[in-house]
Amino acid sequence: MEHMKYIGKDIERPDAVGKVTGKAVYLDDIALPGMLHTAILRPEYAHARIVSIDTSQAETMEGVVRVVTGQDAPGISYGDNIKDQIPMAVDKVRHIGEPLAAVIAETLPQARTALKQIKVEYEPLPVYVDALKAMEKDAVLIHQDNGAYWHLPSIKPVPGTNIACEYTLKKGDFEDGMRQAEVTIEDEFNYPLGSCAALEPHGTIAWFREDRQIEIWSTTICPFIIREEMAHAYERPISEVRVHVVDLGGCFGYKSDVTIEQTIAYIASFVPGHPVKFMSSRREDFTSTLLGHGIRTRMKIGAKRDGTLTALHARVYHTTGAYADTGVNVIMAATHNCGGPYEFSHCNLQGYSVYTNTPPVGAFRGYGHQESHLAVEILMDRLARKLNMDPFELREKNYLGPGKITTLGEKLWKSNGDIKAAVKKVKTAVFDHPLPGEDDQYYYGRGFAGLMKSPKGAPFSTKGVYLKFNHDGSISVNMGGAEVGQGLRTVVKQVTAEALKVPPDKIKVYNDIDTQYCPYEWQTIGSMFTTQGGRAIVRAADKAIAMMKKTAAQILRVDEDYLSYDGEKLFLKSDPGVFVPVPEIVRGYMYENGITIGEVVQSTADARLPRYSSPDENGQGSMGVTYTFGAQACEIRIEKKSGKIIVDHFASCFDVGRVINPKIIRGVVAGGVVMGIGAALYEELLFREDGTIKNPRYNKYHIPRLSEAPGRQTIDFVETPSEIGPFGARGIGEHPLVGVAPSIVNAVYDAIGVEFSDIPLTPDRILDAMRKKN
Amino acid sequence: MEKITFTINGVRRTVETEADDKLLDVLREKLHLTGAKRGCDNLSCGACTVVVNGKAKKSCMFPMKKAEGAEIITVEGLSDGMVLHPIQRAFIDAGAVQCGYCTPGIIMELYALLMSNPRPSEEDLTAALNLHLCRCTGYEAIMEGALLAVEYVNKK
Repeated sequence: MEHMKYIGKDIERPDAVGKVTGKAVYLDDIALPGMLHTAILRPEYAHARIVSIDTSQAETMEGVVRVVTGQDAPGISYGDNIKDQIPMAVDKVRHIGEPLAAVIAETLPQARTALKQIKVEYEPLPVYVDALKAMEKDAVLIHQDNGAYWHLPSIKPVPGTNIACEYTLKKGDFEDGMRQAEVTIEDEFNYPLGSCAALEPHGTIAWFREDRQIEIWSTTICPFIIREEMAHAYERPISEVRVHVVDLGGCFGYKSDVTIEQTIAYIASFVPGHPVKFMSSRREDFTSTLLGHGIRTRMKIGAKRDGTLTALHARVYHTTGAYADTGVNVIMAATHNCGGPYEFSHCNLQGYSVYTNTPPVGAFRGYGHQESHLAVEILMDRLARKLNMDPFELREKNYLGPGKITTLGEKLWKSNGDIKAAVKKVKTAVFDHPLPGEDDQYYYGRGFAGLMKSPKGAPFSTKGVYLKFNHDGSISVNMGGAEVGQGLRTVVKQVTAEALKVPPDKIKVYNDIDTQYCPYEWQTIGSMFTTQGGRAIVRAADKAIAMMKKTAAQILRVDEDYLSYDGEKLFLKSDPGVFVPVPEIVRGYMYENGITIGEVVQSTADARLPRYSSPDENGQGSMGVTYTFGAQACEIRIEKKSGKIIVDHFASCFDVGRVINPKIIRGVVAGGVVMGIGAALYEELLFREDGTIKNPRYNKYHIPRLSEAPGRQTIDFVETPSEIGPFGARGIGEHPLVGVAPSIVNAVYDAIGVEFSDIPLTPDRILDAMRKKN
Repeated sequence: MEKITFTINGVRRTVETEADDKLLDVLREKLHLTGAKRGCDNLSCGACTVVVNGKAKKSCMFPMKKAEGAEIITVEGLSDGMVLHPIQRAFIDAGAVQCGYCTPGIIMELYALLMSNPRPSEEDLTAALNLHLCRCTGYEAIMEGALLAVEYVNKK
């Protein structure tokens, strides 16, 4: 492997000092002159017609500046995929967290007090909290206009139903694949609704300035989409909308796409001249932003007796929520990833994104991968049992790899990575020593899952960079990628250092995002920043070096191709004694007589995934482009008395192409695994039949604490260079979550011989299953 | 409204506030000390933890009437100019910082613990850290940071 000077080293995070001193600025830390506060009324019913809203009492309360309802300016709709979203309910409410009215006041307590005086009359409608119910024939329509909303051509709504998008994928000849099958296995799997539940809740400040500029600060990873959506909604040039993103207290998916921003802008539009601030309470963060998952997968696998997979059938049902704009791409990913890391020659896959009376679903770290892998990786273990085969051997026979074709029809190459190498490392860590036998207190088990992750992006998705050399040789890098904790700014620093052969301490990475000054970036999603952003940096660096060579060639009076660059100087390859130092040319080169030549060394570039496309008529296409393969396995204990599952050891290995920062990548994987353990064992947002939520709080929606993290984690990497990312690197952000739940479900079978098809595996469910078994 | 006087990061301050107002609101809104974070409002997450009279307290539910005469230390009071407190240094060195939202609360929890017991056991550290939620790190690096903090504090 090529020798790297700055990549692969543990350099310190550029944002660490600000964070440990409490000086890093997050949205809620911002106060602007003349700023007002808003509180939002949420409905009493999850689905109801609004008969009347009486705000008269609230308007007279102390400190109240304005009360706003959806009736004040109906007609604004928005959405990146389907324009089915509205900033505030107009004629009906569709979920329990929907904005219904808002009070703008001098202080937040005043706004909250006045909110209680708003009187609403409702006419309740039937409530659907599950896709399957909302798909029933006589179901009441949640959106009367389904089908009539503007949408991307790849989105296929079914008018007259609650189906917001139907996605079909066909590969090969499914019927033929089933005919070849000597064994089939099938089941329905459920990955319930959950929340990313980042420590920092969603918040936004919106300001309709007197100079007609719209200025916004938000907890978002898509400032450029917000800019475009605002410009569209309020008929301003895009350049007149300015969006800022300061430090973000975690994201994990649900701060992508437009979430609360249109609502807060709508509210603020009634008090032009005043910045209006909104911070979600923890409850609102659960009920009124974006949820994750809510995916049922009915899967059937056909195989020959020797273990060769022949056919894959899946029907995927997504409880997408009251608005589908942010969920429709999730169902596409959850459907075409049903094959997991295996090659199926014949596929018939169909996914339904269904309107329900639950808060809208959006991205959740993994984006359709963890749900599809739950199904396929549990079925692979069951198939192995049915075939009486070693599960590793069965998998080994069918892994995707060079020359194999994914469900999407994409051919894989060596540069897409080596799952077998990853499996080998994980298998050694977890399966190469004896498992403790059952004792008085515990059952013991271990389980495995292979995985494949590709981004779900957009064909035009790109990431830009501005690179600026300063005349002391230091370098400023400005990008539009959101640092959510994943270490993105550190990646920028290290990739820039390597590309320009300059020590990291000479590189200053941007602190915050401002759409007025930052280069364009679509949004920081899909674990694509290292790949695309890093490639953009390499391109900008190459341009900067070319600029320096051009100037140096004039000064040294040689042709450009005779010159070389080493980070400090441009020199003649044949005689390195002939050179010009970088600082002398970055602002142009000044001769002794003052005459100056050459361009200032600052460059710009961007990068998107090569040939990324929309789906064709078979639902296939170049929609993965960059794949990462991995393997995960665990050793667990089940406490007999309580049914509690304890994860003693969790092992993960991914072919990331190139490790950029060992400490940071380990932290990302360790955290992703624990988040996956949360999903597998504890996390589920519980809905009552009437659409109200039982547990929208941290102490009821259980996210893992330190004592619930694995006793130890083995974290390892394979480095098969990618041809796309910088220095061979691939993405890793979402991947650590993908195989966690199926590996734990498989370990539970190993421990107690009970087959589970849905999560979370709470102690009660385990106890219940053990009771039934005995 | 009542006048409540206390010492914060070594400086005596008097604020006018309702007795039931919460310390976190006063810190953030009146004193502009935004290092303590709001994550939940029901004692679950620990992001708002500060040190009151030597003990780690979740400021989101801490009533101001109990702050009268108290000595309060927030994360802003830990570093000395450009010099980081050993706990802060340890967290950086261990890679315990990702999004950073839980970090000030956890650092203050450890500060209170280490001031009263400079050599806590791993069990003591687990008990203290278990009061905090972190959604990023999986806690591995946070535990390493805590162990390193013990080492750094005792070396000092």
